Amino acid sequence: MAMFKKIVKNFGPEWGAAVMGTAAICITMQLSSEVARPFSFLLYVGLGFYLLATVMFVTFLIPWTLRFFMYPEEIKKDLHHPIRGNFFPTMPISFILAGTGTNKLGPMLFGPWFAYHLSIVFFFLGAVGIFTFGYLLVRIQFLHKDVRLEHANFSWFIPPVSHLIIPVLGVCSLDVYWAETSLAPVLFIISMIALGVGFFNFLFVGAAIWHRYIYHIIPQGRLAPTVMVGIAPTAIIVIFLIKFIQAIEASQGTLFGINFMSMFSPIKIIASILWGFSFWWLILVTILLFTHYVKIKDHPLEFGWWAYTFPFEAFAVATGLLAACVASHFLYGMLIILNTLAVIIWITVVFGTIKWLESGAFLKPQH
Amino acid sequence: MKTRSIIIALAIVLTPFIIGIPLFLVKSGGAIHEEANFISDTRKNNKGITYKGIKVDWTFCPDWEYKPLFFHAEEYLVFMFHYSNDNEYNVQVMPSYMFASPHNRRYSANEEISMYIENALENKLKAEDQTPITFEIPSNATKHYIVTFEKPHSLDNFYVDVDVFRDVTLRLHYKKEDGEWSNYSNELIRKYKGRG
Repeated sequence: MAMFKKIVKNFGPEWGAAVMGTAAICITMQLSSEVARPFSFLLYVGLGFYLLATVMFVTFLIPWTLRFFMYPEEIKKDLHHPIRGNFFPTMPISFILAGTGTNKLGPMLFGPWFAYHLSIVFFFLGAVGIFTFGYLLVRIQFLHKDVRLEHANFSWFIPPVSHLIIPVLGVCSLDVYWAETSLAPVLFIISMIALGVGFFNFLFVGAAIWHRYIYHIIPQGRLAPTVMVGIAPTAIIVIFLIKFIQAIEASQGTLFGINFMSMFSPIKIIASILWGFSFWWLILVTILLFTHYVKIKDHPLEFGWWAYTFPFEAFAVATGLLAACVASHFLYGMLIILNTLAVIIWITVVFGTIKWLESGAFLKPQH
Repeated sequence: MKTRSIIIALAIVLTPFIIGIPLFLVKSGGAIHEEANFISDTRKNNKGITYKGIKVDWTFCPDWEYKPLFFHAEEYLVFMFHYSNDNEYNVQVMPSYMFASPHNRRYSANEEISMYIENALENKLKAEDQTPITFEIPSNATKHYIVTFEKPHSLDNFYVDVDVFRDVTLRLHYKKEDGEWSNYSNELIRKYKGRG
């Protein structure tokens, strides 16, 4: 019991990142399985990732939730921490990702009806959590007296990313089942509000972080993985755009009066531009990592390595979906490479996390 | 790393593969019972529809049985559409599909279920399904697209709208006669282009 209490006390807000990094692979696997028949077994490996992510999600959710009731002072301390606080939305994001996985792979386990209803429950729970933490964190940031230039880092992107991920499940739901129901306008409005919040916050927060990177020293090595988060916002918008156009297409070419033929061309152009930015960012991360952090040997093993997984996987998903619209052969080839790399990164991070736990760092959180 | 930690890490990273690969082998080996009964192929009796040099044929299975792992099997209506381009130039198509049956049940094709069954279907019909939203059909070539609809209970008639042409929709009518599905008529419906 004493050990369990210790675990709950030290169970930081960032653990949702491990669920995110595992859950998104089920989608990259599903997309890769579509490329050609030799890869069809990947759909079932994706199902394995979905089940593993579900077990992790439930296992982590228990101490994460209990901590709010058993150690509110620890929660308060974390919420006011300029880095750790931003990781609170990772758990509501996990709800949205669990919903997306259920939407895509759930029919293989439970049949479509149950899977689509379960994913909609995840949508609402996730959306409530994301908006709640979004307001809470902005309020804390605005009223905080000690936020300084050197606190800015790319983990600040997590709250905007959390809002951007809501419309992904929203339009996935419209694509398969809910477009013809009275819930459709509700899903659409919530998705559009979240998209607006996420997009503009991404621009504003991005400018603040950029300012720090130019006018101040860049963060120390333990925050190096957070640079990877910069890939996520544009990659997620690409995913949203392609799923949205697929939802319109599935509704006989018109959804809420938005016409497929008039939207498809601009969406192809915008999605390609945004995908290009994520690709550029991926190269930037590689350059920064190897020419700075690895070179000066400042890249310690941290739980924060999970920041390498989800953004990279989101980029792989964006690549797979964009391939359905433009440059199919090139992008499908790239998807297979990215999917393989995503698994390698995930395996490395799992081993790293176990080593990190073995070191006892979990019980001595750094602030 | 301690041996115990290595074993834990290995157990975690191997879990998705340990779950996934046997499932794939079981599914693809036919150990899970799935019925497929193709009752018609318009290519055999030349009943396909040609419009502006694009010939649309379809193979129809009214009772594809798909078994989710934890639930009972459900039947699906499965079509494989075959688009042949008889023009002298390549054409780009963006087909979409809608199912309609009495009691105002209208819904679009379920791409997810199509994905789960596509391997079995491709093997059976010896044709490769298209993945992109839009695809090009070279002159004198044929491309195929799998479409799956959830099947309402006690269904005895329905139609499917195939939206592949710019100005008309192809509507396929089916009804059950003496327990057998019959494709009793097909029509090209002009699309409304006004503002009201």
